[in-house]
Amino acid sequence: MNQSPFDDYQTDVFFDEMFGASKNHVPKDHYQKVFERINRLKDHEIEEKRRQADSSFLEHGITFTVYGDEEGTEKIFPFDLIPRIIPNAEWNQVEQGLSQRILALNLFLNDIYHDGKILSDGVIPEEIIKSSPYFRPDMVGFEVPKDIYVHVCGSDLIRDESGTYFVLEDNARCPSGASYLLENRAIMKKTFPQTFRGMFVRPVEAYPELLLKTLENLSPRKSQKPVCVVLTPGVYNSAYFEHTFLARQMGIEIVEGRDLIAIDGCVYMRTTHGLVQVDVIYRRLDDDFLDPTFFDKDSMLGVPGLMNAYLQGNVALANGIGTGVADDKVTYAYVPEMIKYYLGQDPILSNVQTYLCWREEDRKYVLENLESLVVKPANESGGYGLMVGSASSKKERQECKEKILANPRDFIAQPIISLSRHPTFCEEKIEGRHIDLRPFILYGEDIEIVPGGLTRVALKKNSLVVNSSQGGGSKDTWVLEN
Amino acid sequence: MLSRVADNLYWMSRFVERAESITRMVEVTKDTYLESGREINDDEFWHSTLNALCAVEIFEADKIVKVDEFLLFSKDWSNSIRNCIFSARENARMVRDQLSDEIWIELNNLYLFFLDDDAQKVFNNRPSHFFLKVIRFSLVFQGLVDATVHHDEGWRFISIGKYLERADQTSRILDTLSLKYGESSRTDLISVLRSCSALSAYRRQFRGELSLRNVASFLLFSQDFPRSIRFAIRRIDSNLHEISGVPRGNFSNEAERLIGSVLAMVNFTDIDTLMASGLHQSIDDLQTKLIDVGQRIFEAYVLLPFENENIGQQRAAQSFVQQQ
Repeated sequence: MNQSPFDDYQTDVFFDEMFGASKNHVPKDHYQKVFERINRLKDHEIEEKRRQADSSFLEHGITFTVYGDEEGTEKIFPFDLIPRIIPNAEWNQVEQGLSQRILALNLFLNDIYHDGKILSDGVIPEEIIKSSPYFRPDMVGFEVPKDIYVHVCGSDLIRDESGTYFVLEDNARCPSGASYLLENRAIMKKTFPQTFRGMFVRPVEAYPELLLKTLENLSPRKSQKPVCVVLTPGVYNSAYFEHTFLARQMGIEIVEGRDLIAIDGCVYMRTTHGLVQVDVIYRRLDDDFLDPTFFDKDSMLGVPGLMNAYLQGNVALANGIGTGVADDKVTYAYVPEMIKYYLGQDPILSNVQTYLCWREEDRKYVLENLESLVVKPANESGGYGLMVGSASSKKERQECKEKILANPRDFIAQPIISLSRHPTFCEEKIEGRHIDLRPFILYGEDIEIVPGGLTRVALKKNSLVVNSSQGGGSKDTWVLEN
Repeated sequence: MLSRVADNLYWMSRFVERAESITRMVEVTKDTYLESGREINDDEFWHSTLNALCAVEIFEADKIVKVDEFLLFSKDWSNSIRNCIFSARENARMVRDQLSDEIWIELNNLYLFFLDDDAQKVFNNRPSHFFLKVIRFSLVFQGLVDATVHHDEGWRFISIGKYLERADQTSRILDTLSLKYGESSRTDLISVLRSCSALSAYRRQFRGELSLRNVASFLLFSQDFPRSIRFAIRRIDSNLHEISGVPRGNFSNEAERLIGSVLAMVNFTDIDTLMASGLHQSIDDLQTKLIDVGQRIFEAYVLLPFENENIGQQRAAQSFVQQQ
């Protein structure tokens, strides 16, 4: 009898994306074809397909740079061959929830940088917003083009034990990962062509065009085709591949700070035939590094005078300045209130229950229940600074407690959610691994979301942290047509 | 196009051409060594190669003791094949959006080959295989540049980088003859021609016995041979004028003026006059002018007119070091 790679598979107590709760491994309908295809694979075929995929990533230079390594090592972002599949009806619900969310976030930013109604109405405490490190007082009263602040948003979604979707966090500054979403798709089409064809998967390839349309929509000059550029910190940045990838796909220049120059309130790029005015900058640097004459004086990356040009309205930035206040994890806790306040609707996607340490009663609860909570810094990304209570030592919990007491504003806590799991090729066999989903939401003339997103998978057994910097990998995400 | 991009494309191309040229030199020199007779030892034999590449001192300081391995794999000498490939790829990585996937994959694959020990292993076991791999890469690279990217301004900078490097390398290879102790032997002449991939092309033009005069004449002045210095200079001249749009014979910047004067020299000097004033001296003058052309291109297209002159000077020093 043939062995199936799923023979020893355990769903344990988790919500499994592929299998129902019963013990005998009956795949859900939408996974049937993929299940059969994987089942037919022989060991050496699996190995070969994995090797092909890995070497294809390495050959194409689809890598991220590992920091803190002298040689500036480039690594591939580990890729798993079993696709994550989302039925269309399920996706439509998610899509509506995300659209609702980005609308509310933008209304919120427009409000706090103008009249601050939501603050004066007491829905969100003013001191919380004003104490966020990413709140930019300089932006108060400034009119951003079309009143849009967040043009590209990456909201991380997870599913709990019952399979319900939750928003874990919003990334409203420079979310990355879209290039992997596109490359993963390209690889999967090569690896399982027939299965792919037979499933009627909704395409994602339009992302770069949609992104360019979103950028062009912001141009202050209407008389001509807008000049858009991607601004990168440079070749040593961990997401450099993504920056060149997107620039190439959009057919626009990728520039570093030194390629731009601001003169008399306009920004130009330096070309072999002199200076060319730039209209829209898709910047992949945080606010602090954009302009040494305005923000961080020591930054070598930015363009002196850029902010002056921005404030005069001669160049547009995507995302706008000061959007970080919307992805502060303390602000996050108020997004459901924002949706009700601005849109008069109930949130379609729920937040994860969040305890805000600056509130006395929450703090008390957090400190008494550290073991069963995840404590997060309010303003870090990439999975840095997390304290997962159930996996922590007494000493770590003590340190965490001290940090919270010293700066309660900077910490939040959430219950430990057992993220859904997905069958994943591990060392020798297929095992369940925890996953999340990062869709990319574009907000220009319309709101556009390519179906699915980047599914990230925590490759370490039992790990709940999916970030690439913490041993995470990724999967292709297939949203099915009906 | 972006000035920095022009600069990156130009250097990417130079480093690829340099890797190919040095590979040929090593291959031919190794081969010639087999028949060099008993009175010559290793060091003496490689001395003129090291000298032509301005690498005598840095070789002495290097951990690697064998000259051929040094030229191929040194981590400290910026022009070892390994470092040329690394630099070419680094420049390419900064302009990924300008290159076709095919070009990137070829270059990146060779980089990966040098990154782990594969390259060293292949060289130890089958040196001919190793040389073939690097030279083939360069030829495929050039073919892909011609066949898969727009022949626009960026392509012209790639072309200028290639021909400037090639003119420089051909002049250095030719110079090994004037740097040899004593008269050039038949073996030396053949080895120089082979290093420029020029042996059969030469034979078609000059039948019979090989002479230093004819070899020098061919490599300097051939109209149609793509590795001759004259050929390269004509290409640089025409590409520069294509970029600026100024008709040939005129000039709109220092780079164009200088290359025009070098072109006039190779067009209107004959070999006997040149030999009379000393082959080595003439080659040296030519090399200095070519380095200057590179610098002037940088000033014309990468620096802004109002930018500090110091940057230009720093860069001049830097590019000189890179060429050495």
